[in-house]
Amino acid sequence: MKALTALVIAMALAAFVAAAAQQQPAPASTSQAAKNWTPPRTPDGQPDLQGIWTNYTSTPFEVPDKSDTPDVYAGDLDGTGRGTGPSSFLTDTSDRKLAKARSLVVEPPSGRVPIMAWAEERRNYKLAHIQDDWVNFTPWERCITRGVPGGIFPAGYGSGYQILQGPGYVAIVYEMIHEARIIPVDGRPHLGSSFRLWNGDSRGRWDGNTLVVDITGYNDKATVATNVATQRVRAIPQSEQLHVVERFTRVDENTIDYEAVIEDPKVFTAPWKVAIPLHREPDYQLFEYACHEGNRAVPNTLSAGRAKDREARAGAKSR
Amino acid sequence: MQNWVKGAVIALVSIAATLAISQMLRSPVEGRTPDVNVPRTAGGKPDLNGIWQAVGSANWSLLDHQARSGPVLELGAVGAVPAGLSVVEGGEIPYQAWAAAKQKENYENWLSRDPEVKCYLPGIPRATYMPYPFQILQTANNDILIAYEYASASRVIKMGKVEPPPVDTWMGQSAGRWEGDTLVVDVTGLNDQTWFDRAGNFHSEALHVVERFTPVSPDALDYQATIEDPKVFTRPWKIQMPLYRRQDKSAQVLEFKCVEFVEELMYGSLRKKTGTEQPYTPARLRWP
Repeated sequence: MKALTALVIAMALAAFVAAAAQQQPAPASTSQAAKNWTPPRTPDGQPDLQGIWTNYTSTPFEVPDKSDTPDVYAGDLDGTGRGTGPSSFLTDTSDRKLAKARSLVVEPPSGRVPIMAWAEERRNYKLAHIQDDWVNFTPWERCITRGVPGGIFPAGYGSGYQILQGPGYVAIVYEMIHEARIIPVDGRPHLGSSFRLWNGDSRGRWDGNTLVVDITGYNDKATVATNVATQRVRAIPQSEQLHVVERFTRVDENTIDYEAVIEDPKVFTAPWKVAIPLHREPDYQLFEYACHEGNRAVPNTLSAGRAKDREARAGAKSR
Repeated sequence: MQNWVKGAVIALVSIAATLAISQMLRSPVEGRTPDVNVPRTAGGKPDLNGIWQAVGSANWSLLDHQARSGPVLELGAVGAVPAGLSVVEGGEIPYQAWAAAKQKENYENWLSRDPEVKCYLPGIPRATYMPYPFQILQTANNDILIAYEYASASRVIKMGKVEPPPVDTWMGQSAGRWEGDTLVVDVTGLNDQTWFDRAGNFHSEALHVVERFTPVSPDALDYQATIEDPKVFTRPWKIQMPLYRRQDKSAQVLEFKCVEFVEELMYGSLRKKTGTEQPYTPARLRWP
């Protein structure tokens, strides 16, 4: 009971801190700072983005709305409080001092992703049927990938990214699901259209000091957002027409402004944009996230579903 | 033209041709002496950047193995096991007696025990000689990334002094240093879950691997790994093989996210049946 009381107090405190944080004004535009700061260069002349970066934030993904149904988005239809993803007290976001904005979604101005109704219905169906089939989970719970750009959407833990650069390439090592994403910046064309990839096909170029990455060639099995922290957008399906343009701009020694413009004419009524600051954190240690190797969530969830089926059959017989 | 001029021209051309041919005939891969012509970084270290792959069948077995039929009858020659010569120095892995027995048992239960069947992370050194390419990204100042196509596995080799790894992991912790033209990588903190090959060769969490990458030509690296595990082997032992640069201009490490390929195998029995599934035909299995 003591532990429970402590937990309740801790959660109330966390909620209070989060609410207080919301009152802070949004940070001033960093574009002015970007103009005044020249990033170092690698020997082959690329602006240097290298180092270890984290994306902790307390900013909500979207601007909240009365119509939101968090239990549905969390895949927690029974209201047990045990949806997929870590509980808030397991994440290490709340003890960090972080700049706040109204939402990570910055376009459209409403801070709400323009999702087509069919896609929301599809999400609701899939999240309500995770006990039936693993394909109803997001690719993150299946330990396939958090995707591109989804891999940079804050999850609350496993938040480290290491950027390394060599001649003609920028590589981003994602802590969560041990992704090593290699982006060619040598002007080569996209892969042929027969490639339909979980992470799409990334091609980068430098626009001044900004790394611009164009991503096409996605499959239609993944979802742009996978984590509970992405709320309503999590588990929204994507089509093969998904097209993403990311921009990485190092605006000062310790900050990369990350932006992604996401368009998919079959799923969203308009393109939308997220903006996430990445903070340099040289002492942060990326741990191995051996996800699939320890995946009990998928078999246990399915197994619970089959147990329910057996109970239902037994109930029907005895009636 | 004067005859002597003609003669001189012919002589010069033939000397040039001889030099060119002898240059061409110089074997680029043979021999272990570092080649002075290897690409170098601005700092003078060998430049290992590129896409590399082991050729051979060490992933089937580190030891001598003749060709044989595979475990699935219906796969015919497609599923057969290719022959290969030992990459182990001395041709023998010095197992302790109990461990030799366990390796045999692993081999007999290959399909149910090999972590590769389940798309698990490969560990070191196995990641190096799996039948997939990997990319080395060498940064100008420090760390070196190796990104493997198989299972999106990767590791960042931290150069210089590093703290001991706080936990054991599938890919371990890699600490690198240069010894002349050789990149020496000290790998510790490996767990006991990975294998060396599809033949059931295994280790414990006491495994310690020291790898040596030495460029022997612009397009080949000599790869050596010393394997030490006092819980499983009676002495340290060594493997060696060449790694080749992928020559295809458009070579790139592609996506091989194999989790998707093993979900039916691992979770299929737990899926809710709808009656609309495309059923698998039963295959005839026999191994060894």
